[in-house]
Parts: sequence; structure tokens; C-alpha cells
Amino acid sequence: MSVFGLALLLLVAVLVPLTGLPSFLILLFAAAVGAVAGVLSDTIPAALLAALPIRIVNLLENDLLQALPLYVLMGALMNRLPIADAIFQTSLRMMPGRVAAPAVAAMGMGALLGPMNGSVGASIVALSRSVASRLRSSGMSPPGIHALIAVASTFGIVVPPSLVLILLGDAMMGAHTIALNVSHRPDQVINTQDLFRGALLPAALFLLGCIVVAFLDRGPSPPTVARPSSPGRGAALIALIYVAFVIGLLVGVASGRFYAVEGAAAGAFMLFVTCAASGRLSNGALRELLRETMTTTGVLFMLLVAATTFTLVFRLLGSDRLLDEWISNAPFDPRLLTAIVLLAIALAGLALDAFEIIFVLVPILMPPLLTRVPDATWVAVMLLLALQASFLLPPVGYALLMVRGVLREHVDSVALARRVAPFLFVQLLVLVLVFGFPRLVHFGKPEVSATPVPMTDEEVRRKMQDMLPRAAPN
Amino acid sequence: MNALRSLDLALSRAIGAAQWLALPIAALLLLQWPLREVVARFSREANDFGQVAFALYVSIALTSAMRAGAHLHTDVLSHRYSPRLRRALAILGILLALIPWSVFVLVAHFDSARRSLGLLESFPDTSNPGYFVIKLAAWLMAMLLLLQSLVELMRLLRADNQ
Repeated sequence: MSVFGLALLLLVAVLVPLTGLPSFLILLFAAAVGAVAGVLSDTIPAALLAALPIRIVNLLENDLLQALPLYVLMGALMNRLPIADAIFQTSLRMMPGRVAAPAVAAMGMGALLGPMNGSVGASIVALSRSVASRLRSSGMSPPGIHALIAVASTFGIVVPPSLVLILLGDAMMGAHTIALNVSHRPDQVINTQDLFRGALLPAALFLLGCIVVAFLDRGPSPPTVARPSSPGRGAALIALIYVAFVIGLLVGVASGRFYAVEGAAAGAFMLFVTCAASGRLSNGALRELLRETMTTTGVLFMLLVAATTFTLVFRLLGSDRLLDEWISNAPFDPRLLTAIVLLAIALAGLALDAFEIIFVLVPILMPPLLTRVPDATWVAVMLLLALQASFLLPPVGYALLMVRGVLREHVDSVALARRVAPFLFVQLLVLVLVFGFPRLVHFGKPEVSATPVPMTDEEVRRKMQDMLPRAAPN
Repeated sequence: MNALRSLDLALSRAIGAAQWLALPIAALLLLQWPLREVVARFSREANDFGQVAFALYVSIALTSAMRAGAHLHTDVLSHRYSPRLRRALAILGILLALIPWSVFVLVAHFDSARRSLGLLESFPDTSNPGYFVIKLAAWLMAMLLLLQSLVELMRLLRADNQ
């Protein structure tokens, strides 16, 4: 029956695009099929299914998940403030006379707003609303606009302190704990701070590379020099406070001065007060804001609940052990194994959002991988970069499809692929760099080996004896 | 039909009231930091009460998302389907996935939630009151989803008959 669990995973992958039904419904359906089949075939003792409510209660009392509605609230508040506009106009003013200024400004916006917007989809909606018309009026071609918005929207995946990083941190913590229990390695379990710090340098490299590409790439029809309009003192001040806050939040969480959830609460509170003080939260607007926050929180949490249900059944069917066996016995070097697993996740990224991958695939694939690859931070950052690459892969990358859907204008696929290619090249370059030099995710920390150092029982015994005080000679 | 309309209205009101919980969640979790670092007291209380508010909020948020039809989905193929086929798929999804899941959680969690409520269970680490609300929230989540599923099912069936 353990193969049946894998078949269910395949069923999910087929039914999600085929039916067009919400992913959580398909996951619950697959879990129900698996549970019934498991109980009927005596593979799953019915009593074990009672673990499901306990798992749901665990989700409800998870400290880290409290950040979820707070991030959503921050994103909703941000969209009501002229932050995007002010950042864009201020960026243009900082690069007077530069043809690439609008593109660079859009990148900067993606990096600043993406982490707070929640998902790639939400970033695309926000960026399309705030920069598409400005890029168009600067003379940029539609494929260029699509490419730029798609790339900028994926910054939220790798730039801390994003919601994706927080949720991946939680999922990786669970997977790493399982892996350490299985392998009996005395390593420290990965946490959100590790992931924030690990993603920082690769994200900075990617952002820098994209800015260089934006400066060098003129495209088929060179855009005209954009003339910045004045953002207004109030809006500029709000933008300045926001940028300072994001940097403060990042530094505070990465340095461990406060928890991610406290940073998110401070952000939500600060934006709420700013919004209220600027008169943007009349009674109706406040209700609408809270309704939007609750709905988006519900979307993410429902997916998490459904993924929890599915992974429980998957484990009860023994499919996790089968995967573990395959991955443990795979005749590959741990790095090649990591590349294969990440490739599988990147392929899934062509159809699934980052949250679906974090909630469904990470708990299934990461524990066995981490039993063979001890550097969990490196694996997590590689996963983020692989996801980002898959979202940008023409012609069916998730971000590219989403931009098409939001902007609703026809764009030639080949032209779009040409405009995305330089950014994708930079992305793959960062991916290869991190793959080849795992130290990049441990910037400023003592060296950690990315390859496991397997020890035989005899070696363990000898090491233990070496650590014990020797008996004094008579 | 009147019962269905009343149920729909009751769910809408419950969501309307619960959406305000986002503000105390933010306030309590924000307070945690100064209470821990400056006052050196009551930060665990703020965390526990924030947890209770969060559990209640989330248990109702799932139904809110379902009512708004906001759940993540891929319409690469389904946008070509007829409205009738899409409705049929939605009905199947509710009947074969959501209702069985909700009923299972309601039944499997009933004893645990009832016991916790009877004891007015406290938080195990801090002994602060209110942990039973978290256990009840899981049950409430399933109950609200079941009720919303029924409302949705009736709406889809009615649209099919028209």
C-alpha cells in the first residue's frame, strides 16, 4: 500500500489542473480515498486516523503560524497606503535621466513589497496595479512589462522576512527534526532565523544581478526616459518609514532580537496606525480590510489543514518510509540527490504555488533528504531558488502565467521568453553558485559541511571512548 | 429555504464578528515583546491569549474563504468547461471531500473537545486559563465548514435545477 500513497500524490497533481477545483478539496479527496483504502486493506488501523484532530489542534497552537494573519493584514494595509507609488516615484528621482530607471524602480518595489505581500500571486496583483501603467507610459514593450513584473514578484520568495520564508522555516523545522531523530545526528534544528540569514546573500546577489540586467537590457524598443512626478511629502514620508521598518524588521528577526511573529505584529500595528491617521480607514474601509484579511488567512490555513490531512494519510500508508528508503538507498552523491529532489519540486512549481509546495511536498520529501544531507539551511535556500526558477521558466512558469492572467493582454510567448531569459540566467547563476558554494548561506558563521560524514557503529564507539576520561595508569 | 437563508445569515454574522479578532491578535502579540524585555512579566499571558484569539479567528476564517470563493485553484483547463460541468465538479468536491472530512473531525474530536470544555483545560506550560478554547476551535472549524458546505451544496443544486 505504500506505493498507493505515491499514486495519490500523482492523483492530486492530475486532478488539480484537470478539475479546476481548489487544491485543498483535491487534497482532502485524495486523503479520504487513501484513508478508506488503508482501513479496508488493514494497512491503517482506524484508531490512528484519530490523530487528525490532534494535528489540527497543533496547527492552532503553533506560535509561528500566528504570523500568518499578521502578514496578510500588513499586505492589505500596504495596498491601501500610497507606499508603492511613493517608492516608485522616489526611485525614479534617485536615477534622473536613466532609461533603465523604471525597470530598476520596479525591481526595488518587488524586493520591498514582495516580502510583505504574502504570495507571488498577491505580489503580481499589487505590482500590476501600481507599476504596469507607468512602465507602459515609459515606452516599455508589453513582453518587457510582463517579464519585469513576473521577476519582481518572485523576490517575495527569497527576500527575507517574507511569509514564504517563515512558513518554509516552520516546515523545514519539522522535517529537520524528523531527519535528526532518524539519523541520530546531534545537530541543531534549523529555525526561521537560520533561514532568514541563509537567504540574505543569495537574495542580494539575485537582486543585484537583476538590476544590472535592467541597466544593460534595452529590449527591442528602447523605453523613453521616465519623468518622475512628485510623490508628495506625506507619501514620501510614509514610504521612508516603511522602508526603514522593513530593514529594521529584517535585522531584528535575523539577529534574534525579537521573534518573527512579534515583528509581524509590530508591522501590522504600525501600518494600521499610519492608515488610520491618514484617514484611509473609515468604518466601511476598515470592515473591508478586515474581511480581506480574514479571507486570505482562511485560504492559506485551509490549504495547510488539507495538506496536514493528506500527509497524515500518506504517512499511515507507509509511503513516507518508501520514499525514505528510495532516497536513503539512492546510489547518488548527496549533492546530486539534492539536485534531483529539487528538480522534482521545481517541476511541481510549474503548477503549484509556493504555499502548496511548502505545505504538501516539503513535509514528504525533505525528511528523507535531510537524513542524507545534513546542511538544512543550504537545502532550504536551494529549494527557494529552485522554486523561483520554476516560477520564471517560460512558457508555463507560474509567475508568467499569473501576470498574463492579471494584465489580460496578449503577449507573444517567444518575445516574453526573450525578455525573461537574462533574468532567468542570473537566477540560475545564483542557484549554481549556492549549489557549488554552500558557504554562501552561512555567511559569517563557522564552516558547516554540506556532505554527510557517515560513521560506522565502531567509529561512533571509538569516538565516544575518546571523549571519556582515560583511566589513570596504576 | 428559510432555514437555509437563516443559516447563511448566521454564518455571515459570525464571520463579520470574528474578523475583528485580527486587531487583538496583533495587539497581544505586539505587547509580548515589551512585556518580556521591559516589564519582564505577563508576556506568557499575552502569548496565550493571543493564541486563543488566533485559534478562534482561524477556525472561522476557513469558512470566510470558502464563502468568498477565494481558494487557490488552477483554471488552465477548467475555464473551457461548461458552467454545468463546473457546478457538477464543485458538488462532487463538497460531497466526496469536504463533508466527509468535516464529519470525521466532528466525530473524532468530539470527546476530546467535550472533556477539555468540562475541565476548562488550562495551558499545559503556563497554567493560564483558556486552552480549552483552542480545542473547541478545531471542532468549531469543522462544524462551520460542514454548515457552509450544506449552504453551498443547496445553492449549486438550485442553480442546476434552474
